[in-house]
Amino acid sequence: MRLGVHDLPDLSLGAVFLATGGGGDPYVARLVAEKALQEFGPAEIIDPDDLADDAYVVTLGGVGAPTVSLELLPSVTDAGRTLAAFEAHVGRKVDAVVSFEIGGGNSLLPIVAAVERGIPVVNGDGMGRALPEAQMMTYPICGVRPTPAVARDYEGNIATFATSSIFTYERQIRSYAQASGGMITACEHPMTGRELKASIVPRTISFSIEIGRILREYRGNAHSIIEPLGEAFARSIYGQFRHLYTGKVVDVQSRIIGGYDIGAATIEAFDRNLPPLRVDIKNEYLVARMDDRVLASVPDLITILDYETSTPINAERLRYGQRVSVFGVGCPEHYRSPQALAVVAPRCFGFDFDYVPLEDLALPS
Amino acid sequence: MRIGIDVGGTHTDAVLLDGDDVVAATKALTTDDVSSGIIEALDVVLAQAGVAEASIEAVMLGTTQFTNAVVQRRELAEVAAIRVGLPSGDGLPPKTGWPDDIARSLGDHCYMLPGGYLYDGNPLAELRDADIDRVVVDIRRKKILAVSIASSFSPMNPEPELRIERHVRAAIPEARITLSHRLGRLGILERENAAMLNSALLDFADRVVSSFGKALRLRGLSCRFFISQNDGTLMDAEFVRNYPALTFASGPTNSLRGACRLTGLDDAIVVDIGGTTSDIGVLQDGFPRESNIVIEVGGIRTNFRMPDILAIGLGGGSLVTDEGRTIGPRSVGHRLVTEGLVFGGQTLTATDLVVAAGKASVGEASHVQAMDPAVVSTGLEQIVAMLDHAIEKMKPSSKPMPVVLVGGGAMLVTRKLKAASEMLCPEHSGVANAIGAAIAQVGGEIERLVSYRSQPRQEAIAALSREATANAVAAGADPKTIRIADVDETAVSYMAEGTVKLRVKAVGDIAGLGKTRKEDR
Repeated sequence: MRLGVHDLPDLSLGAVFLATGGGGDPYVARLVAEKALQEFGPAEIIDPDDLADDAYVVTLGGVGAPTVSLELLPSVTDAGRTLAAFEAHVGRKVDAVVSFEIGGGNSLLPIVAAVERGIPVVNGDGMGRALPEAQMMTYPICGVRPTPAVARDYEGNIATFATSSIFTYERQIRSYAQASGGMITACEHPMTGRELKASIVPRTISFSIEIGRILREYRGNAHSIIEPLGEAFARSIYGQFRHLYTGKVVDVQSRIIGGYDIGAATIEAFDRNLPPLRVDIKNEYLVARMDDRVLASVPDLITILDYETSTPINAERLRYGQRVSVFGVGCPEHYRSPQALAVVAPRCFGFDFDYVPLEDLALPS
Repeated sequence: MRIGIDVGGTHTDAVLLDGDDVVAATKALTTDDVSSGIIEALDVVLAQAGVAEASIEAVMLGTTQFTNAVVQRRELAEVAAIRVGLPSGDGLPPKTGWPDDIARSLGDHCYMLPGGYLYDGNPLAELRDADIDRVVVDIRRKKILAVSIASSFSPMNPEPELRIERHVRAAIPEARITLSHRLGRLGILERENAAMLNSALLDFADRVVSSFGKALRLRGLSCRFFISQNDGTLMDAEFVRNYPALTFASGPTNSLRGACRLTGLDDAIVVDIGGTTSDIGVLQDGFPRESNIVIEVGGIRTNFRMPDILAIGLGGGSLVTDEGRTIGPRSVGHRLVTEGLVFGGQTLTATDLVVAAGKASVGEASHVQAMDPAVVSTGLEQIVAMLDHAIEKMKPSSKPMPVVLVGGGAMLVTRKLKAASEMLCPEHSGVANAIGAAIAQVGGEIERLVSYRSQPRQEAIAALSREATANAVAAGADPKTIRIADVDETAVSYMAEGTVKLRVKAVGDIAGLGKTRKEDR
């Protein structure tokens, strides 16, 4: 599959939907991708199954605070130069790049590096959504080591990492980002084609484009897109798609704890025939509950759309008074193994309850 | 006494206020030269009120001239855009993402320099005099006089923008310069866009402000003269010569603020029913609730403040179909007066239903006498149900609230709205925009990225409140009347604990107004 400039609006819109409130506004990343595709031509998106077992693949993306990128703009050359620095560090050529997370701007950066280097991007990612920390990617969950890794800041300063565990790596790269203007580009989790096939959430690039296309074509009242979105998810690697709630944001509280935007939004039904819905936020929308009854929780996806236009709203843009619809989507099976739930279950985010799959939870009556 | 004027695309409205009382009001047609329409409207209100020109203390004017210029790509000067922030943003020069036509209108004069700051106050790169001067020489060679300057994190540290301004000023004394930190919030692309549009409009702003001023002088008004901006506050007209972009989308704000004054309500739902749409807004503490989505002006992303307006396709000219079960969204618009049934036309419109029910007398009621009463009652009920549904979405809480109906289509509402604690349809609601301009206050705003770790929250808010207050006083506010209208905190994720984007807005009455009364004559 070839991916050209005309695919970017749908891809980035779908990426905001799958970002479940996190990942930042992909607008600037989209501008960067546009420039790269205009200069180097369309990207080759390769199906994971078509990748050789001995191919050498590496993940690439931005690490840091999306808000910082509003002022510290990325450069069109950041992704390609980070990949070059990685190749220099490990002393070998990379055959293909792959995304950390399909949610937000990180869906686009591997494309920028790949077209510049003339190599393919693997159709898929390590989350199928957005999540805040490196150990939550399917690659390390399936045993891929994070290092050797290379991080590059806006100025071209390079840091290399060789760490014993994914948790140490996450702490170190996070503090490097904070010390380097708040946002860096990283190349990490080098792996073989065989390892990639066992760990990737497959075909999320093409699926994100499909979601974006549906949001664009059925633009309008959120009720009108339930059916086409439901059909798209039914054909996908994701689980059940559910409309959870529609109403008005009556409260948003957030504060930063340990570098994360922790908070909650309260949504009231327009006609108040239901109790209010509370959505807990840690960068992403993590838990939706009504009167302490959980309707959906991480790692399942929770997405909030503007009610009138069906535009996905990320957490930093959620405000008092907005009219919204809340949707839940069962996560890909990758996140339902004991190894995965050990790092992405609600308790990993400080919630005091166990994960129950979306489809086993009762819908609001 | 003061006069409020709203110069719209079609109508130029004017009101004369004595304190809070509307003494005179008029609607004139907007003329091509704008000023003769203003003079005509001034003539009418001064004559109606029977007051001397000398007793008018201030004129406040709202205008769509600058928004329209951007939307229609006219009156725009070529702009030299200087961005400071390399090596970040390499490959994303100014105007990236703009529609081609307006990008061409501003010419090909974009410059990028190393420099600027990081979120933590460290320098992003060194800004060198030699680099600045190379750019300035090129701008002078091209004889470009409109310049915009934007630097990374300039809302927190504007020093690079100020330094480049000094260089440009020294080499090109007649240059017109917009510094992005004076216009916008965090988000360098949007802030830079606003600064570029502003610079492109500076020459036009001179002509417009001069033409407005001339109209006032010709009518014998030598009082102070203000122009309204998008957040519902006023700028001195001379200030608009430098900041025309701040007038973008001031219309809906003035309409909401006018409704506030006409009813004396600080918290209310305002429904402005026109020919094609109903615009629903929310007054909170006397100001419009602001929208949080990215605002595009003429296809260009900006970060201006705009009121949160829900528009639904329901107005006096809305087509009635499906036996009255469907109203709108299609409308005959301004052709209502020829195409509506009561005006002898062939199209069944929402207005016809109201006349058929005997709830209004416009046009010729005999044209709708034969209408099926069931269609009339179904249609009227559907209209109110549409408004009920839309208001329910906008209402800030479950409690019923006052609903203010303004605009020519207010008569479409034939029963009490569910969400309304009371319904008001004040006199002069047709000129709410001009009233909103007349009663506007002056404000000051400040936004910073702050760390509550190094500065406790209350202290940071107090410090920014002092700066916002100083900005309001500089804009002409009476210090005794200033209050903090808004404190907005946005946590910044993945950063050190307690890093917050903090914004404070202060507003106050215009200093020295309200001394003349009608009896003083």
